[in-house]
Amino acid sequence: MKTRCTQITPAVSCTRCELVRRSLRLGGLLVFGVGLVITATAAPSFSRQSATSQNLASSSIPDVKCVIGLENIKPGAKGTLTSLPTGLEFTAGKKNADIATSSIQDVFTGRESRQDVSGMGGTLVEAAIPYGGGRVVSLFSHKVDVLAVEYVDSNGGFHGAIFVLSAGKATEFKNQLVAHGAKVSTHVEAPEPKEQNQ
Amino acid sequence: MKALSRTPHLSVLLFTGGCVALLMAASLLAQPGPAGKPGPAAQQTQKLTASAIQLERIVQPDDLLIPEDTRVSMYENVILQLIKTRKFQHVYRSGDRTAADAPDLVVLHLIPEAFKPGSQKEREVITVAGATSIKVKVQFTSREGKVLLEKDVVGKVRFYGENLRATYDLAKKVSGLVNESF
Repeated sequence: MKTRCTQITPAVSCTRCELVRRSLRLGGLLVFGVGLVITATAAPSFSRQSATSQNLASSSIPDVKCVIGLENIKPGAKGTLTSLPTGLEFTAGKKNADIATSSIQDVFTGRESRQDVSGMGGTLVEAAIPYGGGRVVSLFSHKVDVLAVEYVDSNGGFHGAIFVLSAGKATEFKNQLVAHGAKVSTHVEAPEPKEQNQ
Repeated sequence: MKALSRTPHLSVLLFTGGCVALLMAASLLAQPGPAGKPGPAAQQTQKLTASAIQLERIVQPDDLLIPEDTRVSMYENVILQLIKTRKFQHVYRSGDRTAADAPDLVVLHLIPEAFKPGSQKEREVITVAGATSIKVKVQFTSREGKVLLEKDVVGKVRFYGENLRATYDLAKKVSGLVNESF
């Protein structure tokens, strides 16, 4: 009996061991798989969270035209407009100007239409086309957003800055400034220019 | 022969007489009017003096809708043009606390009276249509609010240029008025 037992026990124990090992392997694989799936599904939401927090911290819009109103910046200069928790920053080449969030009195957004061919060069090109064909070139236009920021300096002097951004970006930028604590009042909407009504 | 020689003498005499009459009339017109009642010509040439000027914020009237960017652009362009005139030692912005120390300060108010938005596309395609125009009452007052000078100024963009260029035109005209009056 003893010998039988001793003969059978190792074999039984081996099969048990293998069963346990197999089940462990399967369980491990299952846990790994489930973990992988969870990680894969959770990763985008985590990255989205970090992206939104980055958006709140700062965001910059390139190719913005500062029409007028910033100290040290020439009217009509093109550069990058950045919304920071401390305020607004405009950089044109080596020069930059900033407006502190606490000094912002109001922010306005609007939409306008700009000619695709404009400026001195555009005017010359239009004039060079015979039989008044230059007028056809004037028909091509694109929409832009206008952002007006009213702010005060350290002496309490009132300033206003106007920026021209690509379409659809002004409202988003305004919302970021508001999220950072900029003051905004309710506005009466002015009628849109004629091109937009057509 | 005698008649022929007399005719030029007569015409010279008449010409001289006419010149004298004209000179007398001109001198009479140039004389100042009664004291205390300056004539219209004298009122126009009377210049204002001030070492500093403060531009007040452009307030939108209740019955007129002007886009905010137009108002802001008007304000900033006028500030730039006032500095360019070099008529004042200081050009103060609205709300500037340091303006309180200025000895002879003139306050400039721009009161919008009319606004036509216009269209850049119409201007460039049709030429005769689509002009943008802004009519503003330019008012120079003392610190106490006494009106020193008042005039209507119109800023326009007729053919080429963006709508906001009308504010630049207006600012140039305001600076012209400042050069005439100070």
